[in-house]
Amino acid sequence: MTECTREPEVIEAIAQGRHLDELRDHLARCAACAEIAAMAAMFRDERRAAVGDAHIPAAGTVWWRSTIRARAEAARTVSQPITLAQGIAGACAIGLASGLAALAWRLLPASFSDLILSIDARREEFATASALVLQHALPLALGLAACLVIAPLALYLALADD
Amino acid sequence: MTLSTVERFGAGTAEADELFQMDEDAFRLFYERTARSVWAYLSRMTGDPRLADDLLQETYYRFLRATHAPTDEAHRKNYLFRIATNLVYDTRRRPRVDAVPMHDHLEHADPRQPDHAAGAARRVDLSRAMARLKPRERALLWLAYAQGSSHKEIADTLGLKAASIKLLLFRARRRLAALLGEGAR
Repeated sequence: MTECTREPEVIEAIAQGRHLDELRDHLARCAACAEIAAMAAMFRDERRAAVGDAHIPAAGTVWWRSTIRARAEAARTVSQPITLAQGIAGACAIGLASGLAALAWRLLPASFSDLILSIDARREEFATASALVLQHALPLALGLAACLVIAPLALYLALADD
Repeated sequence: MTLSTVERFGAGTAEADELFQMDEDAFRLFYERTARSVWAYLSRMTGDPRLADDLLQETYYRFLRATHAPTDEAHRKNYLFRIATNLVYDTRRRPRVDAVPMHDHLEHADPRQPDHAAGAARRVDLSRAMARLKPRERALLWLAYAQGSSHKEIADTLGLKAASIKLLLFRARRRLAALLGEGAR
């Protein structure tokens, strides 16, 4: 089957709902145009049925939903840098706390090295020495653990909307 | 993001107008003129009326948010159909499990009404044949014969060259005719 130069004419006639009487002779001779006419009529019927089936929401509803969504997206865009800054601040706080903890550990009084020496010198007093280590290390470990627990909690509370 | 945040940023209607490329009154008029055609197109392109409902909202949302949307009515309509077409293509890339074939409800046509039954049967044949076409072929045929769009408009909508539309349409038509012939046998 070959194309026909009168195809647009046939389609236009069907699109405009015109009667095809004036094209009847041509449609009888031209298989391509006859096929187009049949197909276009079928699609027109299908479109009419589809448009009839359509239960579209009201324009106001579509507008309202779009407005809500657009505002939410705008709000998200605005809040992105703030969230990022808060995240960085939280990470810095945790880093600082860890650094301070490490510094405090190194600056522990000489009693710690004395303690090691005393362990070497007097193994029999090991139990006492262990207690001393615990006495110094425990508050520090607890502080560090508190930082690790509190920092994410604080970050969550800072970022939560409500 | 909660509703309270949304409410904080959404103080008034004037702000909504600033977010979109047209005001509410213009949108309402445009929507009333185009929504049914767009829904019909989406429904027949996807073969799923429920999906068409979702895509209709998404189409108009993207249209409203477009920063370089055309200003004249004809181009606006083409642009709207272009968005709809892209959404259909995107949807086809994602698998769906709950799609309902569009001709299911047609199969329950009343056989006591011959005209109605014949029309329904024709529609079932067409929808089955359409389902076996490629999305682009489906879009070409729908825009050309159901919408009555010109080759230039089809080219604008589908992002193709106007010169290639005639040949593509011819091939799509031949393929559909072959599928309808298969179905009739």
